[in-house]
Amino acid sequence: MTDLNALSDEDFRAEVRRFLEREYPQELRNPPHRLHMDEGRPWFEKLKAKGWVAPGWPREHGGLGLDAAKQIALIEEYERYGVARLPDHGVVMLGPLLIRFGTEDQRQRFLPKILSGEHVWCQGYSEPGAGSDLASLRTEAVLEGDHYVVNGQKIWTTLATDANWIFCLVRTDKSGKKQEGISFLLIDMTSPGVTVRPIINLGLHDEFCEVFFDNVRVPRENLVGEPNKGWSMAKALLGFERIFLGSPRQSGYAMGRLKLLAERMGVFDEPDFQDRYTRLRLDLEDHKALYETFVAMLRRGETLGPDVSMLKLHQSELFQRITELMLEIAGENAGLLEPMEGNRDLHPAGQFIEARPTTIYGGSSEIQRGILAKNVLELPG
Amino acid sequence: MSATRDEMAAERAESIRMIRESAAGIAPRGGDRKRIRALRFQAPGFDRAVWRQIGEQGWIGLHVPEEQGGAGLGLSEFCAIAEEMGAALAPEPLVPGALSAALLAAGGAEAPLTKLLAGESYVVTAWQEAPGTLEAPGTEGAPRRFLPLAGGADAFLVPVREGGRLALYLQPAAGADLALEKTQDGGFFGTLRPAGGERVLADAGTALATALDEAALGTAAYLLGVMDQAFALTLDYLRTRQQFNRPIGSFQALQHRAADLKIQLALSRASVESAAALLDMPGTPPATRRAAVSRAKARASDAAMLITRQAIQLHGGIGYTDEADIGLYLRKAMVLANQFGPAALHRRRFAAEAREDEA
Repeated sequence: MTDLNALSDEDFRAEVRRFLEREYPQELRNPPHRLHMDEGRPWFEKLKAKGWVAPGWPREHGGLGLDAAKQIALIEEYERYGVARLPDHGVVMLGPLLIRFGTEDQRQRFLPKILSGEHVWCQGYSEPGAGSDLASLRTEAVLEGDHYVVNGQKIWTTLATDANWIFCLVRTDKSGKKQEGISFLLIDMTSPGVTVRPIINLGLHDEFCEVFFDNVRVPRENLVGEPNKGWSMAKALLGFERIFLGSPRQSGYAMGRLKLLAERMGVFDEPDFQDRYTRLRLDLEDHKALYETFVAMLRRGETLGPDVSMLKLHQSELFQRITELMLEIAGENAGLLEPMEGNRDLHPAGQFIEARPTTIYGGSSEIQRGILAKNVLELPG
Repeated sequence: MSATRDEMAAERAESIRMIRESAAGIAPRGGDRKRIRALRFQAPGFDRAVWRQIGEQGWIGLHVPEEQGGAGLGLSEFCAIAEEMGAALAPEPLVPGALSAALLAAGGAEAPLTKLLAGESYVVTAWQEAPGTLEAPGTEGAPRRFLPLAGGADAFLVPVREGGRLALYLQPAAGADLALEKTQDGGFFGTLRPAGGERVLADAGTALATALDEAALGTAAYLLGVMDQAFALTLDYLRTRQQFNRPIGSFQALQHRAADLKIQLALSRASVESAAALLDMPGTPPATRRAAVSRAKARASDAAMLITRQAIQLHGGIGYTDEADIGLYLRKAMVLANQFGPAALHRRRFAAEAREDEA
């Protein structure tokens, strides 16, 4: 395989574009909602054949080991081409966690199956009573011999209907501080006692689910790290999530759609629009620069600090501001349920709604601001 | 003199309060959300029986002169009803219906007006040719777009430019070339290719401009109801949702946000009510009237979007589900915020009109 890191930025981008033009399924460009795995499978197979499923993983684990600048370039090229996001909890979340905290046996059992697509993962964190206050979670795992027996309920589980495995935070000790009795457990969703119920969201799409556990038996060796030490690992994983959710991808994509809409509405050259548009562009450019500094830290093997919250916070709110401007300039089209003129790229209402939950999931903006105030700025209270 | 004026104002306020209360049967505050959900995305998007009730209450012709079968009341009363409809999320097309009633009254078209005022028919004014405008060019043969709940229309009122004037044609809905698109709130926009009809008014320019302004103000009032109720639901949630062993409304960051939203709500109410009072006052110059309408619509559009967006955010994950009612308010605001002129258009118009005023 070519050492992609050795290529110049220009050559690397050309390589990505060639790959997309040759292999990317045209019908999956700029989909109106998040793809289910069966919808995205043709693209996944192309990525797999090319060995590009996990761009950020080290090469010894089957990743591409891309450096920071290349990862950004890859995101930009995907975004420019309208590449759909696949169910990616295995690649983005669990893989990096197992590489860092898993046993050799766990890495060998799970990493290759993430890359092959045999295992599709989802994330079981939030519960009806434990959203922003995640540590108050109550789904319980009790050790009985060689197995944990799991009972409880998760909610906002993204694309759980597509997944055959779920990584969960479960309570294994109720005696101490709430953060101290949490463990990280890998659960086969085909086990008896697991039920998934899709939730219809504001976009009228079934992206989120509830997952119920009723006396589900999970082998003891599926616990990652030490028992009752799941919280600190989960927080490390939230760091991965925040850098992923802080990537400029959503905002960059939305900026392209905003420009298209503005041209279609005939306002693109108006000075007032240009000023607002350019402000957003500058926010996006500066965001990319900030994002790159965090990715570079990761590549150097440094642990991300709580300041990674800035990325997720700024990206999600930028994405929202872009889509809010879309509605402002769209006239009555802002109220349409379907894309304008049958053109999926012209769907201000859909984009606006898609941007709504980004400041809620993955740690709400309120939680991120609290983290910045307390853990980064070390303000009292 | 001031005592008399105060007495008159008090009397007026009392009559508006009573009209508001009379709305509760058809448009209960907080809404009959089961009814709203059942009507969503099902053509025509509203309930004809409720439309008749609205007619029987006299709301469609609230602002139509008594001698033409209306109630002869002011825009302050009309806005009070529109606000109650908004708070209830009632989908029945009060504002578009009243717009057509004003034009039929101006044209003296007695028979269709009587049916419309009684809620026995729904007449849609097909004035719009482009998104985000308040101008009716009257281009002959050009498609008329964004016609609210047009699938339920019995007739269309189509302005057509004839020489220097804008004539008004009444075209029956039967046999009309009409296409429907779904809207976020569960309703429909129609696109009509106008064809023929009976001329009911030779020079409708002034009447149409006035009626469109009143529709913009009525929409601002409806949005006021939407944001008011979304805010009330959100405050309830802040009081009851527990995280970190306390109601989330006890967190200062959320308290401050709620306080900021309250200010926008209060500004919207003051803007809508003062604009309605200005329009009701005899002798208010046209530019002042237009500036007042634009001030109210710009404020209400922006505030409704802000409050309903924040309502979702403050509800957290549950706010992003379709089964949570709070989303219905956001969807309604998305449809109405740009109808009868988006905020930017009204800001431009305010700047132009207010300058004229000062000169």
